[in-house]
This record gives sequence, C-alpha cells and structure tokens, in this order.
Amino acid sequence: MKNKATPMPFYLVSLMLLLPIALGAQEAAAFFQQNCASCHTIGGGRLTGPDLKNVTQRKDREWLIRFMVNPKGMIDSGDPYAQQILEEARGVVMPAVPGLTPETAASLLDLIEEESKLPESAFKGLQITDRPFTQREIELGRQMFTGDRGLTSGSPACISCHTMKGLGGLGGGRLGPDLTRVYERLQGRQGLGAWLTAPATPTMGPLFRRYPLQQDEVLPLIAYFEHSAQQGGQDTSVALLNFFFLALGGTAVALISFDAIWKWRFRAVRAPLAQGGRPRGET
Amino acid sequence: MTNTQSYFDPLLFAVLPYVVFFTFFLVTIQRYRTRTFTYSSLSSQFLENQRHFWSLVPFHYGILVVLAGHVVAFLFPRELLLFNSRPLRLYILEVSALIFGLLTVVGLTAAVVRRIREPKIRRVTSTSDWVLFALLLFQVASGVYVAVFHPWGSSWFAASVSPYLWSLVKLNPDFSTIAAMPLAVKLHIVNAYVVIGFMPFTRLVHVLVVPNPYLWRKPQVVRWYRRPGTMAASKG
Repeated sequence: MKNKATPMPFYLVSLMLLLPIALGAQEAAAFFQQNCASCHTIGGGRLTGPDLKNVTQRKDREWLIRFMVNPKGMIDSGDPYAQQILEEARGVVMPAVPGLTPETAASLLDLIEEESKLPESAFKGLQITDRPFTQREIELGRQMFTGDRGLTSGSPACISCHTMKGLGGLGGGRLGPDLTRVYERLQGRQGLGAWLTAPATPTMGPLFRRYPLQQDEVLPLIAYFEHSAQQGGQDTSVALLNFFFLALGGTAVALISFDAIWKWRFRAVRAPLAQGGRPRGET
Repeated sequence: MTNTQSYFDPLLFAVLPYVVFFTFFLVTIQRYRTRTFTYSSLSSQFLENQRHFWSLVPFHYGILVVLAGHVVAFLFPRELLLFNSRPLRLYILEVSALIFGLLTVVGLTAAVVRRIREPKIRRVTSTSDWVLFALLLFQVASGVYVAVFHPWGSSWFAASVSPYLWSLVKLNPDFSTIAAMPLAVKLHIVNAYVVIGFMPFTRLVHVLVVPNPYLWRKPQVVRWYRRPGTMAASKG
C-alpha cells in the first residue's frame, strides 16, 4: 500500500535487501526460534506473549497475518481482539519483526499448525527449575553481567548496553534499557529464560544470533535478575553524572597541561600585521 | 518514526557509504593531480596566534585519539571486548575517550569562534570552510552526546558497529546490527559519511599529506618580509 508512492530506486533497493519469499519448513522453524520463541511457546504456556498452540483455530489466518506483519498498526487501529491481546500482555506491544513479510507469516502459521498437532512441540519452551537460586548462582550471574566472567560464545557482556541498580563504579551502559526489573517485565523465570535463549529485539537479535548464550549461562543470569527485581528500584543517573564530570575534570587537566607543555610557544606574532596590516613606516 | 527510519536505512547505510568512498577516492586523486598546491590546511597562524593555540592543539590531539579509537574498535573488536571485560578497564577507557572527545569539542569551538571574531581570519575563510565547520561540529557534538547518554560505546561499537563496517568492506552490506540504534548514533554514522564525501572539496585533505613530525616538532618561526606598500599586491 505504502509502496505505491515509493520512488522506484528506493523500492528496488529495499526489495533486494528484504526478499519477501515464503519459507520452507526448516527455515520457518529457524525463523520461529530466532524471532518468536523469546516471547511465545507452542504448548508451553504463556510467556510475554500468548501460547500459540492452535492459534489458527482462535482467529482466522488473514487476521493473524495482518497482526504479525504490523502489530502496532493493528493495535492502534482499535481492533478489539488486538486490544485484548495487548491487555493480556500487560501492555507490552509486540515489536515489528524485521523481515516478517505476509509470505513468511503464512509459513510460520503453517509451522504452528503442524506443531500444534504434536503431543509435545519442539517449541514448548525452556523448562526452568522452581527451586530458590543459590547465592553462588546469583554471584555468577552478576559476573556474567559485568563481563568479569566471559560468555562462552564471545558475545559482549550485558554491561556494554545495560545498567542495573547497585552495579557500582560508573554503572552499566545505556544503549538498552535498565534491567533491574526485567525479571518482572518478562514475567518471571520462564519468560526471561525464553528471552535470553533467543533475544528478539532488533538490536540484540542480529548480535545474539551469531553469539547465542549457552543454556548453562541462562540460569545464573536469571538468578541475578530475579535477585535484583526482588531488591526493587532502578538505577539512578548519578553514575552517568559521575562519568561526565570525571571526564570534564580530565579535560580541564589536559588543557592546563597543554598550556604548560607549550609554555615557550611563540605568542607575540607580528604585531603590526595583526593590528591592521598597514605597511611598515605608517602608524 | 520507525517506518520512516527503516525506509531510508538501505539508502543511508548500504548505498551512501559506497557513494562517499568513491567520491573521496576519485576527487582526492583528481585534485592532487590537477591542483597539487591546494593540498594544504592553509595556515592562518601568522594572522592570529593567540586563539589559534587553543583551537589547534586541543582539537588535533583530541580528534587524533578519538579517530584512532574508532579505528582500533573497527580492526580489533574482539580484543577490545576482551580488554573491556573488566569493568574498571572499561571505565578508564571510556573516561579517557570522553576526555579526548571533549578536547575536540573545545578546540573546534575555539576555532569557530576565532574565525567568526577575527576579521582577518574571516576574510580568508571560504564557504567550504564554514560548511566543514558545521559538519565537524555536528559530528563531534553528536559523538560526545552518544558517549555520555548511550555508554558504553567502546563495547557496543565493537559488538554491533564493527560487523556492519566489515560487511561494507566485504561488499555485502548488512546493517541489521545497527538498524535499531538510537537516532543520535545513526545521525553520527550518516554525518561521518557526509564528512568523508565532502572532505576532498575542503582543506581537510591536509590529513592525507600531513607532515607527521607536526605532532612533536618544535615550534617554527615564520618570518614575514614585505616591502612597504606591497600589501594590496600580496593579497589573495
């Protein structure tokens, strides 16, 4: 629809980069794992988003495809079923999935239908223990967050982009959101576990597809996030101010040093020229 | 907003880089062959030497270190991430980087003020110089903004921006890792391309022929001999 007014070259470039073709069963499964499994299971219960088992029986395919391709648009249009989905997800809007064309959406629905028929789907989600986490696990998670303990795949530590309350020092990064209460936002261990297995946001997705977290790394991170959410609150901007003023102080020191290092610099430059450039002999 | 941004993304992050690099190479070579003696930063030190120091020195040392940081993150992303794996090292690196970023801002601002406030300097400032100043000011200001409000850039550059830049080198542009970056980061990247594309038309070409001993050599005194009454003739 939008493309009607699109200049041809832009359209062609976009088209070349986003090849909208239907996926085979294996590709659909891989796509689901990378883009959907962080919020949805098939028969494993609700995570951030609803359990998709038999979803095609709850709503017609045409509606589902429209929603999948443009979730925010459907919610904004005031569609009652989209509103209900939003309410059940406690206001979390499903993000637009890069590369999810109507053709891909149809392939995904085929996959969901097939998986719904199975007694146990491959996408029923991660089963995570209910027992209380140990102090050691929480500490391990904290070390993974800060980078003190490197992640096996070589992916960057969480602190690169995220902050948490009580991190100390100059805090964590702020490219992504504060994760102090992410445990609550993603609705507990199951939701968080699924998310960490295949982070699906546009920033984390492409990165963690290359460097996925290992199963045994997910548990300590959940432990740390759960512990942090229990403490409550969120990180303040104090660390950010400290960072800025530290650098500002350093800049002042550097400027003073420059002045000292070049204290013998030539200062008095050709006064007659600088004061008007009149030829010599005139005043 | 997201739709508009993603609509222009292929153009800005997959097409523009090649356009500016081709412009850069072709025009710098052509200019060197046809107008060799314009390859200069056109020193104005002999016209004004008080404010000059406070623009020249902080700007150049600042920008050289900051640019070197970007190059290291591009060439050695894994090693950089490994270095940053201790929070203390990460903090020291980031504070140092921001210091040099701020020095760049101080130097560039001083340079612009000097050019505006000194009539002699204003007279030797061309339109392309003003455009260049605007582009550079935007570039370093957005860089400092990103450093302060979206830390820790040294890590996420290595993780997300390096793969994108390498995809450009490999002629297989993949901007998925930066597609969802905050607007300030995207503007910083796009403006960097604009600066590179505009560079061969400006005095910035001096970086390609910079006499490196500038960085450590002793100050050199330029003497100005002129016979009375030749001011008008020597202008231009």
